[in-house]
Amino acid sequence: MVVVVVSRAWAQHGRTTFETDAGRLPDVLRQLADAEPEYRRRLLNSDGEPYGYLSIFVDAESVPRNSRAEIEVADGSTVTIVPPLVGG
Amino acid sequence: MDEMARVPGATFLQGSPSWVLDWLVSEGQSFPREWFVDETPQIQVRLAAFLIDRYPVTVAQFRDFVAATGYLTDAERSGFGVVYGPRFWEERRDASWRCPTGAGSSPGGEDHPVVHISWQDADAYARWAGKRLPTEAEWELAARGVDYRIWPWGNDWNAKFANTAELHAGPLADRDSWWRWWQAECSARGGQPLTMPVGSFGDNASPYGCYDMAGSVYEWVSTPSFLYDDASECDPAMRMTVGHYRGLRGGSWMNFRYQVRCSERMYGDPAGWSNFAVGFRCARDS
Repeated sequence: MVVVVVSRAWAQHGRTTFETDAGRLPDVLRQLADAEPEYRRRLLNSDGEPYGYLSIFVDAESVPRNSRAEIEVADGSTVTIVPPLVGG
Repeated sequence: MDEMARVPGATFLQGSPSWVLDWLVSEGQSFPREWFVDETPQIQVRLAAFLIDRYPVTVAQFRDFVAATGYLTDAERSGFGVVYGPRFWEERRDASWRCPTGAGSSPGGEDHPVVHISWQDADAYARWAGKRLPTEAEWELAARGVDYRIWPWGNDWNAKFANTAELHAGPLADRDSWWRWWQAECSARGGQPLTMPVGSFGDNASPYGCYDMAGSVYEWVSTPSFLYDDASECDPAMRMTVGHYRGLRGGSWMNFRYQVRCSERMYGDPAGWSNFAVGFRCARDS
């Protein structure tokens, strides 16, 4: 199981953590979008691809944009999704 | 427009006093108290005198920089800029400072603040101009002076003093009302950035004579993201930006009154990201 953390600015009904299956990072994001459709517009473009402008951390390590497609997220990991503009 | 204000050296308390968080909660705005915890506790800062631009950098000024250097912004190199469309933030092909909403669009005017500026773009311009980006503390001192005030002109909100969403839409109670307004803007005018000529508001001067420090465009500062108190229980996504992002101050034309306060803190990804409401102003040692 992978824990996905989102910003409180995105939170629906105060919830900021979710669980998905392990897998490639883009698929983890798609799992979240499928399970929680209200997040789809924040995560995926109209082609169903994760937005490149999001910052993604896996277990506190920033994942460079050019390597996201290949990153495997293991069971027990935490993925934190950070918008490029935070605060407010 | 190439005019700088001198801010005398000072010791001041950066950040918001706790009563401001109480007030924010009492206002019934969309965010919980925890969202603003990063503004507290106030920290004592001592600054040497410095100079800071009275206005954000304009399209004309940035055009001069590009003409002199051939510089390409991050948005131009990547082939897209980030724009708030009718659905959400989107990567819009060919959107950049020249074409804020994509091919065929143009800036509102040469005297408008330039947008789609990444942190590197802002830093490159500042170096070319013989200046630098202000630190976060310098920006806040320039915006409100030594004595605390919510907005550059004081503690009483006036929607006619700043370019915010409330200037264009009237009072906005929550994010749903903002959303309805922006949907209407997209339908009526294609979702163009609602920038205005710099210095349009003679009443919004800071104590040192700087303008447009509330609203207009988000302004980059040089300071990496940090918390005034490491033990603050702030948003986990916000905490993740510490040391990775850079400060953005002043809010923008997209925001409510609460996001354009002098002590409000935002953070942006400096790794090439920008959007159609992000600009900057420069500073220089005195």
